[in-house]
Amino acid sequence: MPQQANPVSLNGFDLLFMYFTGTKVKNMSGTGARSIGKNMDNRSVILPGDPLPNCSAACPVHTDTRGYAEAISEGNYEKALDLLLQANPFPSVCGRICHHPCEKECRRKEVDAPVSLRMLKRFVVENTREYRRARRQRIEPTQGKKVAIIGSGPAGLTVAHDLALLGYHTIVFEQDSQLGGMLAHAIPRYRLPLHALREDIDDILAMGVETRTACRVGVDISLEEIRKKHDAVVLAIGLSESVTLPIPGSESEGVFPGITFLWDVANGHPPPLGDRVLIIGGGNVAVDAARTARRLGVGQVFMACLETPEEMPAWQWEIQEAREEGIEILNSWGPKAVLSRGGKVAGMELKRCTRVFDDHGRFAPQYDEARTMTLDVDQVIMTIGQRADLSCVKETELAVKRGRLMCDSHTLSTSEPGVFACGEVLTGPGSAIHAIASGHRAAQAVHHYLQTGERLVLPREDVPSLGLLPQRVASLARKMTRREAALLDPRERIGDFSEIESPFNEREALQEARRCLACATGARLESSQACAGCLTCARVCPFGVATVDRTAAMPAEECQACGLCAAECPAAGIALKRFATNQMKQTLGEILAPARAVKIWRPFLVAYCCLYETTSRKYLKPQSLEEIEGSGILRIMVPCVGRLSSLDLVEPFEMGADRVVVIACKEEGCLYMGSEELLGRRVAHAQKFLKEIGLEKASLQFRQTRGSAEASWPAIWKEVQHETAPESEKESLK
Amino acid sequence: MIVADQKPFHEIKGFVEAHQNILVAGCGTCVTVCLSGGAAEARLLASGLRIAFQRENQTKTIEEDTVLRQCDEEFVLPLLQRVKGENIDAVITLACGVGVNFLADRLGHIPVFPGVNTTFYGAVMEPGLWAEMCSGCGQCITHLTGGICPIARCSKRLFNGPCGGSERGRCEVDPQNTPCVWQLILDRMKQLGRLHDLQNFIPAKDWRPALDGGVRHTVRERIYRLDYKNP
Repeated sequence: MPQQANPVSLNGFDLLFMYFTGTKVKNMSGTGARSIGKNMDNRSVILPGDPLPNCSAACPVHTDTRGYAEAISEGNYEKALDLLLQANPFPSVCGRICHHPCEKECRRKEVDAPVSLRMLKRFVVENTREYRRARRQRIEPTQGKKVAIIGSGPAGLTVAHDLALLGYHTIVFEQDSQLGGMLAHAIPRYRLPLHALREDIDDILAMGVETRTACRVGVDISLEEIRKKHDAVVLAIGLSESVTLPIPGSESEGVFPGITFLWDVANGHPPPLGDRVLIIGGGNVAVDAARTARRLGVGQVFMACLETPEEMPAWQWEIQEAREEGIEILNSWGPKAVLSRGGKVAGMELKRCTRVFDDHGRFAPQYDEARTMTLDVDQVIMTIGQRADLSCVKETELAVKRGRLMCDSHTLSTSEPGVFACGEVLTGPGSAIHAIASGHRAAQAVHHYLQTGERLVLPREDVPSLGLLPQRVASLARKMTRREAALLDPRERIGDFSEIESPFNEREALQEARRCLACATGARLESSQACAGCLTCARVCPFGVATVDRTAAMPAEECQACGLCAAECPAAGIALKRFATNQMKQTLGEILAPARAVKIWRPFLVAYCCLYETTSRKYLKPQSLEEIEGSGILRIMVPCVGRLSSLDLVEPFEMGADRVVVIACKEEGCLYMGSEELLGRRVAHAQKFLKEIGLEKASLQFRQTRGSAEASWPAIWKEVQHETAPESEKESLK
Repeated sequence: MIVADQKPFHEIKGFVEAHQNILVAGCGTCVTVCLSGGAAEARLLASGLRIAFQRENQTKTIEEDTVLRQCDEEFVLPLLQRVKGENIDAVITLACGVGVNFLADRLGHIPVFPGVNTTFYGAVMEPGLWAEMCSGCGQCITHLTGGICPIARCSKRLFNGPCGGSERGRCEVDPQNTPCVWQLILDRMKQLGRLHDLQNFIPAKDWRPALDGGVRHTVRERIYRLDYKNP
């Protein structure tokens, strides 16, 4: 592999830095993307200026999604976790509750349906716990500077994490006794169990981040005092209060602010509820409140919102799950008055909402006051918006205007030097992953300030992505059913606050991971000089992607990484980013170094196996030298054996192998059209060549997986290893 | 383009039995396109030779290299330097016969062996199938035959119509794979509205521009032996 121009493995943090320093905004779906493969190494490496796969570009922290899907399919769950943690200190939380913008943009949607990336993330986290604990490392503060973070939600803890990594002494102040902010108090447990949150927080604390829990800034300690003792302060206080509605009857007993309601339930103090509860609002908090009320035994839960079903701001899957749980949604109804009897809620009067947004898309609801309805309910929960609790900045110099903390979204700074803001208090209501991204940005801003005394202007972040997979390519890709998260039966779900979603098992995760199209990790011409323009690549490409105009071109954003062009290229001029067979030669060289070769069990078999057939990592784990020597079998896992060239089939014999077997996937199981046929012909060609050299026919064999890989492979290895050549052939060899 | 087929392995191996440091030289143009002698084939052959000699407990060094064209001094130079620098004592070239000659002329005392049989000038009829289209006779007559060469594509090289072996448009030599070229010419001339031209007798060809006239050379005066390059 020729040395590439300084490839570096970048994490989300680096990427943010990179984009801060001027990455051009460009959608690469046009012809301009042709050069993107040029600088790529054969691993998941992202270089400055390369467009990201859509999934990574859509992720607010730019997780190397393609990288972790690949690592899973290779059985390297630990590497997958490393990749997750590089971009996001909350993989456990995000594996459960992320709204997964990665999936929305996944290019597989053009073929069938997006890859279940969130569930894969959850699988990784849940299958690497021991490794995660072992990789924890305390980081000694080397900068000699202290940073206080107010608020321990995802934004605050991300700032603490990043700054601790950079060598700052970080202290997180939390008013509650429990860390996690909204994650700990507002997200219902059936979506995010506490232990899942704890996994991420423990990781962050293990770095040496200090915490002061049950410490209310502005009450137990003043912000001014904190400022005096620290070199910088970050306000990550979130939006912890619900907005109330100034409508008649809103002061009645039985009207709860949504966040207070969720907070009380999460902390084991649910308010007594009647049999009919109405939630006002159509966002995610409203859905959480409704589903929570249902789990508290409320027989009839209603949601009333201004929006039509399509306009509702809550995620569609949340709405669907709420409906399944028996929650009735009243669309296009706005609150008019809370009806009360003896100071207690007795019902709600609603008025018809005729339009929510104006022509500019701004929130400007219009009502038909003549059309009203009355709903008898025992309690009303208001979830129509949130605001920050700014009591911590009272009696300070920090500018607050109309109940909002004044801060600059480009520098994340407040009106006071050294005081920064991030998370929802800065951005407004958003998802956990957006808060984490905001935390990353704040850490950059603070770091810059502490190093230079200046404010860093963080430009708007625009990341170039690969764009849509062209339909003509997508239509030729094999369809594979998306594996959805398995949910409990709705009747079971509402019984209590147990988690409703079951994780993927290993087989499911491996199957789902191989659905990843591995965008932009396909073939590239190593050098235009090598290319004879012979058209072989264009003629064998099953997707019609390879073209020849003087020299071959395999546009990275279209290539499906089957590797057939590379295997057939007569100039050996096409490299594959994901699997380079020259590694095989090196591995064999090491194993069969003369001193070792004496010890090895003979006949020595090299088995090329289709990586995609595995249902566990039994055979994906790297083999020890002892295992190879003792068994006389070297497994080489290939992401589709169709990419093996004739040379790959012959070279093991040069390196000392006695037998070679290629085990392809089950009949008609290949991801790539034509791969099976081409491989079969290539094996026949190599067999003929080996026969001319004088090797018996049984030396190189082509087999297919029967049933499960784990069950059928050992039998195939044994057969091939010990099968003797037919007598007639032995004669001819003499 | 020039089409070639790789020689049988045992024949190639036989050439270099007595040699120690062997270079397999691929050519990056015609033989790459016809899948017989490019870098991939050079590597495969080199690997095969190493396996074969190892099995006979013969220790030989077998290297491989591929250049863009083995018929140009500038491209061949690195090969020549490698032969000298690495004490190569035999070269197997997978280039066409031109490459064999060109390399052998420049290597002098180092033997150059052909790894392919050069067969014809042809075209890709469909992926994986090449067919002869031209014989390089030195005096093209296809203007008389609708662009179809009766020298390259007629088993008997007939100039004035088919022989008795033309049956239902196929050539009796290999009816399955070979059409009778005179049937093709007839059809083409009809298509061109020039059928009547076939009534004109095509006289016997002057074969002197072909090999019969001796070794052929071509000079392009406009770049040949430039004074300022050869002061």
